[in-house]
Amino acid sequence: MAKLSLMFENKLVKEVPIGSRPVTIGRSPDNDLPVDNLAVSNYHARVYYEAGRLVVEDLDSLNGTFVNDLRVERATLHDGDSIWVGKHFIKVDATADAAIPWDTGRKTAAPKINETMVLDTKVRRDMLQQAAAMGERAQFSAGRVKVATLVVLGGKVNGKEFTLTNKLTVIGKSPMATVRLKGWFKPKMAAQINQRDDGYYLGTGDKVPTVNGAPIMGTVRLNDGDLIEICGVRMNFIFRE
Amino acid sequence: MQIVSNGLSDVGRVRTNNEDSFRIVEGLNLFILSDGMGGEAHGEVASAMAVEVIDKYCATEKEDSAATVMDAAPANWSSQSRRLKNAVAQANFQIYQSAQKNPEQRGMGATVTAVWLKDSLLSIAHVGDSRAYLLRSGNLQQLTNDHSLVAEQVRRGLITPQQAEESDMQSVLLRALGAHPEVEVDVDEVEIIPRDVLLLCSDGLTRMVTEPEIAGTLQAETVPAAAAEKLIGLANENGGVDNVTVIVVRFEDDSNKRWFSWMRRGSAKKD
Repeated sequence: MAKLSLMFENKLVKEVPIGSRPVTIGRSPDNDLPVDNLAVSNYHARVYYEAGRLVVEDLDSLNGTFVNDLRVERATLHDGDSIWVGKHFIKVDATADAAIPWDTGRKTAAPKINETMVLDTKVRRDMLQQAAAMGERAQFSAGRVKVATLVVLGGKVNGKEFTLTNKLTVIGKSPMATVRLKGWFKPKMAAQINQRDDGYYLGTGDKVPTVNGAPIMGTVRLNDGDLIEICGVRMNFIFRE
Repeated sequence: MQIVSNGLSDVGRVRTNNEDSFRIVEGLNLFILSDGMGGEAHGEVASAMAVEVIDKYCATEKEDSAATVMDAAPANWSSQSRRLKNAVAQANFQIYQSAQKNPEQRGMGATVTAVWLKDSLLSIAHVGDSRAYLLRSGNLQQLTNDHSLVAEQVRRGLITPQQAEESDMQSVLLRALGAHPEVEVDVDEVEIIPRDVLLLCSDGLTRMVTEPEIAGTLQAETVPAAAAEKLIGLANENGGVDNVTVIVVRFEDDSNKRWFSWMRRGSAKKD
């Protein structure tokens, strides 16, 4: 039987086994895993078995439920996954269960393909659906790529908020910069943000920005809530639906 | 801005024919790379057609006709970006038509990545999984989103980039030229600054050579011809399972030169 361990700052708070009844997570004390934190909704999420799979479901919580950094509404859980609610996380221990294969439906979706081929619309839809069924019948929130926003907290720039829709966003004094720094002696291209398939990456330019206080080395992947500081400008990197 | 460029294509170590095509149009600062598909030598027909049609369209089509855009393009796009997009749409239509007329060409198609520089604005149009990269202050950044099944899965958070690299579905494209009478073309604009290096490449490079290796090569080899040769060499060393094509473009500041020539002129007057 699988169990869930509620952790806070790497310390075990509470451990519960998952039986036939769903395990509930939330701020209210009558939850199986009560989490005493204002960022957590009264009834935040629940974990239960469905057709042999362990599933986590967000109960329309205000701040969301995250599985391994990804915000989810519903997702299949695997051994070793972490569920994040607020600053607490819940470790999933499903070693006792039969392993849930990761690649169900994917390997069988098509034979090995050497020649490049194009999917027509119908096949494409089917294949994407199969691929979606592979991990779970998850509806990842919005089911699509999330767009990030830079919210300016302090410093002289040409705006308060910047939505990062371009592949490449330049921070600097140059007139082509999206986030334009104002003032004397500011570099033309201080730093840049590259939008890639799996997220946003901050890279150095003429200056080395800091993320959450630490100077970056080369490029770093940005996470929701990161604090970026460059040339006296402080910005909050956040995802919006 | 001074522009130095070079392109190179190689059949690789496994295939017998090269289905890639590329073209550098120096007068226009237009760079086109296309990877054809559809066996029996028709892949190269499709890729050659893509390159030809785009080159011709960009070279001859008047500015105004770009106003008759086929769909509502964002108003803030430059006219050059609209033209490039139309050129790609035109290439798609012609490949599609040709395949409809000639039964032996059925199923042929091509990817395309085309970039066009005017002043310092770079327009990028692409369909498929041939990529454009920009090396800027040591960071290699991908300017295009692959239209492949695995890339879409990564974007949706279904698989990790590592799983995508190991997937046996890497060759499955979601978009290509010639598959349908109409195609959705991705267009983007990037402002180029001196010392930028641009790389266009077919998937024969990106599947064989890692991004750090690409970044390292572009930094070490400052002559585009040498960099192109080195990249193709690396792809072949690592297996060369597909055709490999690269275009390397280096943008140089010419203000240094002007400064020095002005000094020289100044000293010449004194003498």
